[in-house]
Formats: sequence, C-alpha cells, structure tokens
Amino acid sequence: MSKRFLLALLIVFLAGTLCFAGGQEETSSNADSSGSTINNKMEQTFVPFTVTTYGQEVTYDHIPKRAVSLNAHTTEIMLAMGLGDVMVGTAYNNAPVLPQYQKEFEKIPKLAGKYPSLEVFLNADPDFVFGRSSAFQEKSVAPLETVLDYGIMVYVCKGSYTVGTTMEDVYEDFQVLGRVFQVEECADELIRGMKEKIEAVQKKIGERETLRVFVLDATGDTAFTACRSLETSLIEAAGGENIFDDIEKVWARVSWEEVVERNPEVIVINEYGKTLSSEKIAFAKSLPAMADVDAVKNDRFVVVELPAIFPGIRNADTVEQLARAFYPERF
Amino acid sequence: MRIRLSNWPGRFTRNGFKLVSGIGSGPQVNRKQVVSSRFTLLITVLLPAAVILSIVGAVSVGSVTIKFNETWKIIINHLLPWYQPFDQTWRTATEKIVWDLRLPRVLLGGTVGGILSVAGVAIQASVRNPLAGPYILGISSSAATGAVSVMLLGAFRFLGNFALSIGAFIGAMLGMFMVITIANVKGRVTPVRIVLTGVAISAFFSAVTNFIVHSAKNDEGVRSALFWMIGSFAGARWEYWPLPAVGLILSVVMFMALSRALNAMILGDETAVTLGVNIQTLRMVTVITAALITGLGVAVSGAIAFVGLVVPHVVRVFTGADHKRVLPISLFVGAVYLIWADVLARIIVAPEELSIGIITSLLGAPFFVYLLRKSRYSFGGKSS
Repeated sequence: MSKRFLLALLIVFLAGTLCFAGGQEETSSNADSSGSTINNKMEQTFVPFTVTTYGQEVTYDHIPKRAVSLNAHTTEIMLAMGLGDVMVGTAYNNAPVLPQYQKEFEKIPKLAGKYPSLEVFLNADPDFVFGRSSAFQEKSVAPLETVLDYGIMVYVCKGSYTVGTTMEDVYEDFQVLGRVFQVEECADELIRGMKEKIEAVQKKIGERETLRVFVLDATGDTAFTACRSLETSLIEAAGGENIFDDIEKVWARVSWEEVVERNPEVIVINEYGKTLSSEKIAFAKSLPAMADVDAVKNDRFVVVELPAIFPGIRNADTVEQLARAFYPERF
Repeated sequence: MRIRLSNWPGRFTRNGFKLVSGIGSGPQVNRKQVVSSRFTLLITVLLPAAVILSIVGAVSVGSVTIKFNETWKIIINHLLPWYQPFDQTWRTATEKIVWDLRLPRVLLGGTVGGILSVAGVAIQASVRNPLAGPYILGISSSAATGAVSVMLLGAFRFLGNFALSIGAFIGAMLGMFMVITIANVKGRVTPVRIVLTGVAISAFFSAVTNFIVHSAKNDEGVRSALFWMIGSFAGARWEYWPLPAVGLILSVVMFMALSRALNAMILGDETAVTLGVNIQTLRMVTVITAALITGLGVAVSGAIAFVGLVVPHVVRVFTGADHKRVLPISLFVGAVYLIWADVLARIIVAPEELSIGIITSLLGAPFFVYLLRKSRYSFGGKSS
C-alpha cells in the first residue's frame, strides 16, 4: 500500500518537474512578455514565506506563473497590481470590470459564469489562486486543503471570512499579494492612494453627528442586511452608523419591525443580480410600517454596486460616494 | 405482456405466477429452469458488463474535454506503474483530472448507487413498507446535523478532508441508534414503530440543523455543508472509496445469505414466525446493517435522494419479489444509475456542477410514476 503510494507520489513529482520545465520554456520563448527576464532574476532572490489564510498555513515558495482569480473583486485587485500577464483564468464575473482594466481582462480565459468545477479549475493548470472563502467549499471549487494537495498556492480574501472586516484587512490582501508576486511597491502605491482619498473625504465632512444608516441587501418577509461586514466599516468611514452593527454576524435577516424601531435616516441599497435597486426601493416604500421612517419620508436612498462594497480597489471611491450621499451640503 | 406489481405488502405477482419462491408452491419446473438460467446469465455477465461499460464511458466524459484514448492511456499507466506502457504525451493537469478526480468519482458513484439500492431493498423488506428507503431511520437529517456541527465547531479539523465525512457518519449512527432504541418497546420492534420513530427523529434533526445554520456567525462553511448533504460526488477522492466498497460487498453477501428469511419477513410477522424465522433478531440485523452501509455512503457523498426508494421497486417490477434476484440486480442497476446520473450532474451546467440529488429526483420520479401506471401498481389491496 505505502509502496504504491510512494510510487504515485514519485510519478506526480516527476510529472510536476516536467511541467515546470515546460512552463519555463514557454515563457522564455514568448517574445512579447518583457517581464519574464525580470521575473527570472527575482526568482533567485525570492525568500519563501508562510501566511495563515482562512485557518490554513500556506507557504509561498516561488513567484506564481499561472494565477487564477475566482471572483470579480479579486480579479480587479490583481489587474490593478499589474498581474494580468500571469493570469490564466477568472470566474464569477457577475459585475463589469472597471473600464481601465477591460482590455486586459478580456485576454484572460473565463473559466465559468459562477465557480468552475475542480476539473475545469485544474485544467487551467494554475500554481496560484486568489478568491473568496465561498470558492473554497465542497459545493464550489473544492475545500482549501484539496487545492493545496494539488500543489497550488492559495490566498483567500481576508474580508470574505472575517466578522467585522475593516479597510486594514483589505490593505492586508494587497500586501500579501504584493509579497507573493514581488510587486510590493505597487501594493503600497494602491494602499497610499486609497488612504489619501478616504482621509480627504473625512476632512470634508468634518465633525458631525453620525447618521443612522440601514443596508437593504434583499427584500422579503424579512430584510436581508449587512451587519459586521466591510460595508459597515465603509459606512462608518463616510460618517454614518449601521443601525444593525450590534449583530455579531456578517449578514443577517432582520424583521421590518426592528428596522422601523431603529428609524434609519438613510437606506443603502446593494445592487446586484436580477432584482433592480428601484424594485427594492419600491418594496421598502410600499410597506405601510415603513412610511414614517426618516429615510422613506425624506426619500434618502443610496445605491451601491456589490463590487464596491466587497474588499477591493473600489472601496475608497465607495466611501466618497456614501459621504456625498450622507452629507451633500459639504461637497 | 402485462407486468403487475400488486398486493404489497403481501406478494408480487407476475403474469399470474406467484414468484414468492423459497416458500410455498413454486411455478412449474420447466419455466423455473428457463428463468433461472436467464437470471444466471444476467447476473454474471450482462449486468457486470453494463457496470464496467458505464465506468469506461463515465470516466471519458466531463466538463473538460479529454480524448478517449488519452484517458485510458493515463489509467492503464497508473494500473501498471512498474510497466508504464505509454509515454506521457498529455499535460500533468490532464493526468490529475483523470486519475485523481474522475476515476475515484465514478467508482464512488457506482459504489454508493449499489449501497443505496441494496439498503433500500433490505429496509423495505424489514419494515414491510413500500414507502421506506435507506433514510427511513432519519439517517439523512442526522448526518446533516453531524456535518454542519463539524463545520460550526471546527471539530476534527486535524482530519482535514475527512472532517465532514466523519461528522456525517457519527451523526448518522447517532440518529440510527436513537430510532432503534426508541422503537424498541419491551424487546419488540414493530415495523410501524420504526417508521414513525424515524419520521420523528428526522424532523427533530432537521430542526437542529436549521438552528445551527441560523445561529452561525459566518455561515459560509456551514451552508456549504448543508448543500453538500443534498448529495454530490464533486469531492470524491481515492481515500473515500475503500470503506464503502468493503461495506457494500460484506452486506450483499450477508443479505444474500438471508434472502429466504427476507422473503418470509415480507409476508408478515406471523407468517414468518410460523416459517421458523426469528423475526426480531432478523429485523434488527437487517435494519442496522442497512443503516451502517447507508451511513458510509452518506458520509462520502451526502444524502442522495430517490435512489434507495426507486431502484428496488423498479427491479421488482421486472423480477418479482424474490430477494435472491432483487438484491443482486438492484446492486448493479443502482450502480449504473448513479454513475450516469453523476455524468449528467457534471455536464448539464458545465463548467459548473449540479447537485446529483437534483438529477436522481428529476429522472427517477417521472420514470417511477410511469412504471407504476403501466404496471397497475396498487398498495395493500386489489389492483384496479
């Protein structure tokens, strides 16, 4: 039994080295990838390091050559860091990518509309994958342990599994990716830009009473709302306060009764999928109990797109968008 | 030819013949010989061949297109590691897909299909109820509770990929143990009591599962565990296969040895007792064995619906009620059915995957209804 296992391991190992050699040949023969020589030079100075992501220790022992991103907002982060050249697959592209990355994005194969099966994922032959925690489940691609077993390095977006995510967690994603791909300057640049933008917004709104904000993600018999998620942190950065930030969950269903009781001044609508934000607004307005809520009385609704509130490069712009909606008189 | 599946829970008749063999008067000798030689051919050649062809076919199909001969070169190379007849002309990714994903998946699919069908036959006989299936002891919902608690508590984390399976198996065994204990009043376990206790325990565990899912803080993992319980072979690995396979073989051998007693049991407790069957012990043994192998199956693939209930009925329509025939034929039919259902689950929405439970119910339910209507099935009375 163990002999056969060892043999199988040996085969996989040998096959792995073969593939590795083949991969290198490909890059050097590719004339227009000017980065390849720089990459090779860096390979020699790359110091392996270990990061704990989604409860698992993952060691990064070389600069990835074939990277897959499994979510729209993770894809945008990678493109913003200039990693389009090494990307061999994207998935779950449920929102249009920012126009400045559109061209590069289209060159990368799309593995699936939602999450690809493990088979399709492996067929892209990746050595690195970045995605939300929901991607690394049995029902999606495969559990994290399985992906690691195939010798693929994984980094899971920290904001996707952390209760009470803040911008610091978003910056951490950038920093880890910067280290893995040896583009740390680029990561620092992105972080600096976002911090500056948020600071500028906060300077503008200045000292003020916080605004009571309710997030409406999905309508129904009960309301589906964000509690201790990144969206709450963004609302706080924009001078608001999520009325349901006391629930120790990332998302929750709350009764309309409780929404009325907490009387939000502004309602933030998350836009995604087939339900239009206008339908969600109409639904909230149609509930008789909601008629006396400040936000409905004053018709104060803000629509944000899902990628804007998921960890990524759009978050600083979201803070600005929210602040403008919360305090229009200060802009 | 009119095929009838009638007079359950008494006996099934076919063309007016009583095929409750092993007890009472059998049909004319010459007919019996014809039937039995045909049966031997079916069981030793045709059905195993169908299973092998299904494996060959299913391994070659998937969301990624891989050439048929490449698939088989890879598998033959792995089966003959010291010889390696073919040079590697394919990518390593392809090799991983064929050997580490597809083959274990197909084998596991066949094994679980066999398990559910055999367990279904045994349970239907021992509780004398055509609505019974392998999950009658609340196994699917108690296994789900086990799986979600493992995800919630992070228990067995050190076991990595096995954590979910072990949680589900422990849950299943707990559910089974509760049903058996509660249904046992003064040393007697009646079929009705087993069935009703199973329903109650099932409802209880569903509620516990929903409560756990609801109270989870970040419920991604927990929800995923729940989804997985609907059934999927997407996570199949080589390590999952040996235990269910061994369990299936042992239980088939055991049930075959007990086939006459199972025949007697289906006629009712009184009849069985007069035929010299120790009904209480037999019922316990069959129910526990069936639950055990079902637990092994559920632990690696989730609770796949509508296989263990349907396959035995479909087989009985064609063979009659004799367990010596129903058991082995159900084994093969179940294996083939689940292998192809899984192929559909893989390719219908490729490059994503459907849950196999959706396929088995979507195909199984209409086919079952069609058979029932065609064969003028009636329950517990005269067919009309």
